Parts: sequence; C-alpha cells; structure tokens
Amino acid sequence: MIDNGAITVEGIYKVFKKGRSDEVRAVDGISFDIKKGELFGLLGPNGAGKTTLIKCISTLLIPDSGAVRVAGYDIYREPLEVRRHIGVLTGGERSLYWKLNPVENLRYFAALYGVPRKHVGDRIDYLLELMGLTEKAGARVEKLSSGMKQKLSIARVLVHDPPILLVDEPTLGLDPYFARFIRDFVKNELNRKQGKTILLTTHYMDEADELCGRIAFMNRGRIEAMDTPVRLKRSMPQKQVLEIKCQGAIEKEIFDRVPDAAGINITHSDGFVYVRINTDNPEMILSSMIELIQQKTKIFSVRVTAPTLEDVFVDLTGASLRNGK
Amino acid sequence: MKRGEGSTKRVFHYLRAINAENIKEWKIELTYKPDFIRQFIEPFVYLFPYLLYGYALLGGRYSEHLKDMTGIGDMVAYTFIGYLFIGFLNTACWAMGFSLRKEQWYGTLETIFVAPVPRWVYVAGMALHSTCHQGLIMLIQAVVITTFFAIVLKMGGLFPALALVLLMLLGLYGLGIIVAGLTIALKQWWVVSEALSTLIVVVTPIAYPLAVLPIVLRKASMFLPTTYGIMGVRHFMLGEQLAVSLPTIFLRLAIIMVVWLTFGMATFLIMDRYGRKKGSLSVY
Ligand SMILES: Nc1ncnc2c1ncn2[C@@H]1O[C@H](COP(=O)(O)OP(=O)(O)O)[C@@H](O)[C@H]1O
Ligand SMILES: [Mg+2]
Repeated sequence: MIDNGAITVEGIYKVFKKGRSDEVRAVDGISFDIKKGELFGLLGPNGAGKTTLIKCISTLLIPDSGAVRVAGYDIYREPLEVRRHIGVLTGGERSLYWKLNPVENLRYFAALYGVPRKHVGDRIDYLLELMGLTEKAGARVEKLSSGMKQKLSIARVLVHDPPILLVDEPTLGLDPYFARFIRDFVKNELNRKQGKTILLTTHYMDEADELCGRIAFMNRGRIEAMDTPVRLKRSMPQKQVLEIKCQGAIEKEIFDRVPDAAGINITHSDGFVYVRINTDNPEMILSSMIELIQQKTKIFSVRVTAPTLEDVFVDLTGASLRNGK
Repeated sequence: MKRGEGSTKRVFHYLRAINAENIKEWKIELTYKPDFIRQFIEPFVYLFPYLLYGYALLGGRYSEHLKDMTGIGDMVAYTFIGYLFIGFLNTACWAMGFSLRKEQWYGTLETIFVAPVPRWVYVAGMALHSTCHQGLIMLIQAVVITTFFAIVLKMGGLFPALALVLLMLLGLYGLGIIVAGLTIALKQWWVVSEALSTLIVVVTPIAYPLAVLPIVLRKASMFLPTTYGIMGVRHFMLGEQLAVSLPTIFLRLAIIMVVWLTFGMATFLIMDRYGRKKGSLSVY
C-alpha cells in the first residue's frame, strides 16, 4: 500500500473560471514523481501555476482531474492522513498570529497537529533553538523582522516533524542575509541531515540551481522539462551565452536580424539591463550586437558565460522567469 | 508507518484543537484592550432603547396587560431576560459565521487548513470561545441589571433554565455553522449574517410575547431555538406562563436542535467542498 515515492502526481488539471467565458488553466496536465529524500524544485515565473499545484497536493484545492498520492495516501480519500505527513510553508510572514508570541504560536499548531502533550514543550524548545529564536520566544511576532518571521514559519512547519515538506517560494521578499540562511537550512539541515523529502517552488533560478537535485520547468500550467540542473544546462543546443550589460530601454525586436542568435532574453536588475543571447559563436555576433545596442544606449560590460538555468528556461519556453506572465 | 488515528484518539485530538482555538482567540482579543472593554459596556447601552420604549408605552415599569398575557407584570425584568439572549445570537451569526473569514484576514487560513483536523473544528472552536465570552458578558449584565433594578429571580429555576439554554445553544451552533459555510462561498458574506441576525431578532420574543407577532412570524419563530430558550428561561427564572407545556418545549427544542445541527453540518461540508473546487477562499 505504501509506495516508495513520497509524492506521485499524475495528470493533474485545475482550471479557474473567471466570469462566464474567461478561464485560467492554472495547472494544465502535470505529472511527476518525487522519491523519498529528494529535494525537487518547481521553477517558473509568476502565474506559472506553482502555488496552485502545491495547494492541490496539500488538499487545499480539489483538482479537476488527476491523481495525487502523498506518502502513500490518496488526496481525495485520505486528506487528513495526507496533511499529517506534510508540512506546508506558504503565505510567508502572514501565516502566523502576529498578536501572539512564538511559543504561543507553536503551541497552537502543536495542538492542531495532535503532537503528544508531553512532547510539546521539548519540541518547541528544540525548534526555537534550531532556528535561533530562543531569545525571541516571548516577543510578539509583529515585533520580529521578516526574516525572523520566516524562521518561525519554518519552526511551525516542523512542529509535528513531517517526513515531507512543501515549500512555496521560501525566500520571497527576504533580504539576502536571511535568504542565504533559509537556503542553507533547507538544503543542509532539512534535506541532507533530517532526510526530509522536499518539494520547493521558486522563480529564482539560482535558488533552484543551488538547492534542487531535480528541477521541473513550469510555465502556463505545464512542465516543459524536468531533469537535474546540470543536465538541463547541458541540454541547450547553444553552448555559450553572450551577455551585454547596459542601461536604458531596449526592445527585443532590434535584435531580430542578428544571425546565429537563438534566444534573446532581456532582464532588468539593480538599474541595469542585461541582454543575454544564446549562441554557439559569440565572437561572430559580438560586433553586430554591440553596434545595435550602442545606437540606443550605453554599454557597461560584455562577457561570455556558460548557460544558466534561466537561459535554458527562456530557450525552452520563450518566457522569462522574471518578467514572464 | 501507522495508518490513521483510532477513533478515541481522534475525538481527543479534535477536542484539544477546539480548545486551542478558544484559547488562541482569548489571547488575541485581549491584545485589543479598548475593543474588549467596549464589548462589555455596549450591551448596557443597547438595552436602554428597549427599556425606554417600554416606559414610554406603559407610563411606568409595570403593566397589567403584560401580566395578563404572560404572568409577569415587570416590563424591565421581562425585557432584560429576552435581551440577554442577543449575546448568544452574536455567537452564532457573527463569531461562528466569521470565524473562517477572520483567519483569512489574519492571513492564517490556509496554514490552519493544512492541519490534520476537519475544517468545522475551527468553527467549533470559535463557538466555544464566543459562548464563553458572551456568557461572561451576560453574567455581568445579569448581575448589574438585577441589582440596579432590584429584580428578583427565582434561583431555584436556574438549573432547568441552564439545561434549556444548553439545548438552545446546540441548535444555534447549527445555525452558526450554516453561516460559516455560506461565508466560504459568498463574496459578500456579511450579508448572510446581517440578514439572519435581524430576522432572528425580529421573530424571537425578546421584548414582547409571541402572542403579539403576526401569525406567519409566530410560525417561523417555532423553528428557532432562541424562542424556546427565552420562553423557558423566563418561565423558570421569572414565572412566565407558558402557552405550551414544559415537556413539549424540551422536546421541540431537542428536535430542532438535531435538525439545525445536521442541516448546518451538511451545509458546511458541501460549501467547504465547493470552496475547495472553486478556490473561493483564496484572495484573487
Ligand atoms: N483561487 C483562484 N481563483 C482564480 N484564479 C486563480 C486562483 N488561484 C490562482 N489563480 C490563477 O492561476 C494562475 C496560476 O497562479 P499561481 O498558482 O499562483 O502561480 P504561481 O504560484 O506560479 O505564481 C494565475 O493566473 C492566477 O491568477
Ligand atoms: Mg506562487
């Protein structure tokens, strides 16, 4: 009865009706298997359907069709058992009671999860210690920083020591210091040390690349590719990427006539514009690219790199992780 | 791996969750001190219009006509007992009805919904909390009002009165969980609470005997637990004459309690399922 795969998803669909004729195919036929102890990532832009999929697996939503088994339990027939075996981290800092302190929050959730009374005190001490929150044990949650709230959310998810974790955008909106902590914690403590099976969603390619043993690219409710990060990156037909860092407004269309440029991805970060071109011959197209951009704006630097996950994502889906819809 | 929890264990688990919900709500409420205090003062303020009407119409506190109709001549005592029950209506229509939307407003709804207890447990926790809360407010009101107006209650009737109130509460919980269910599905969920609480206040004999209601409303009031609760308590505590016999009151109340609870639970489960299909509890 209990299969080895920790999570099995088979042909899941979820369509939201908006008004009479308008509908959103949030999850559009998705299947995958996650093995025990795996750290599996769903990488996709905003609106790809990641959260909807997590909600289906965690019994918050009923899918239109398809089968899901979690720790061997069927989400339709045994939702309570499914919930007992998972910890779900979603909703960020709002998922706690701000008027209560960390201990009161954790006590409440321990009761909901039926953690034996005699273990509750020790468990809470352990979790606060683990997350470095012992000193804040009596402070109202509203007084904690975003990063500490997220740490407390993680403690909350672990209160019943579930074998499976569903982690939805764990570092969204966190400053780099806490984001670093959370990533290390998820990978080293939760996955490697405690051996938990983890399904993580993110739209940060670095996060997926660094943490996940396997990644599924998700876009418009579908999985476009699924493999280890290394193999995904190797799968690109073009082996190199030419990156030009500049400033100002640049339209994708101006590159339409550059030969040998397979995919072009324009992203914005820290006030700069990065134009990335997948190519086999960076030297060949370099001069025409520079010429085109210089007509429009100022170039700060040019470099040639290996493809990142984002380049592969753009190549496969035509959508960008950051700006895509 | 263990499969499931045994049924005894499950009952204790749910009861513990219900109580945890109750305690959590007390703690949260007590952090809003002015609002907490307001809840204890307001009921006194709202009682006055009722009493002033009474005084204006009767030209005093006692009425022979009321005495003929009900056996109680003291309008203040008569009205105030009925008025107390509005507290319980608040439990059903507002506290229970809004329990889930309140969690949504905190941002915690989906977090608690992935815990391994059925969703009615949260509504039940809120029912327990609000009953304690309203009970406390009512107790204070009762002590203050009876002292201030020198109302003499028959204390011997206290226990039967409480038994009746308990039955009535269970019936009201049935109503409350219907409202909670409807709030899942409806965008303008508060309309249900408004409509229902207004309707109940009108057809429940709070400040007047049933006999003065138009026949349709009188019929409707026969299906509401509050009607029997109020009649019974006034009978036991003040000596109101009853149009129907006591056993009949208990029996009818027991029946409508079962009906409302069953109907309420069914509505809630259907609405919960509907909500999980539509995603109507997510903010979109
Ligand atoms: N409860 C809902 N009702 C209506 N539309 C929804 C609901 N939840 C999600 N959607 C829509 O489904 C799509 C996928 O959303 P989501 O799963 O949140 O994506 P992601 O988490 O990848 O950003 C979006 O277009 C979103 O607007
Ligand atoms: Mg999301």
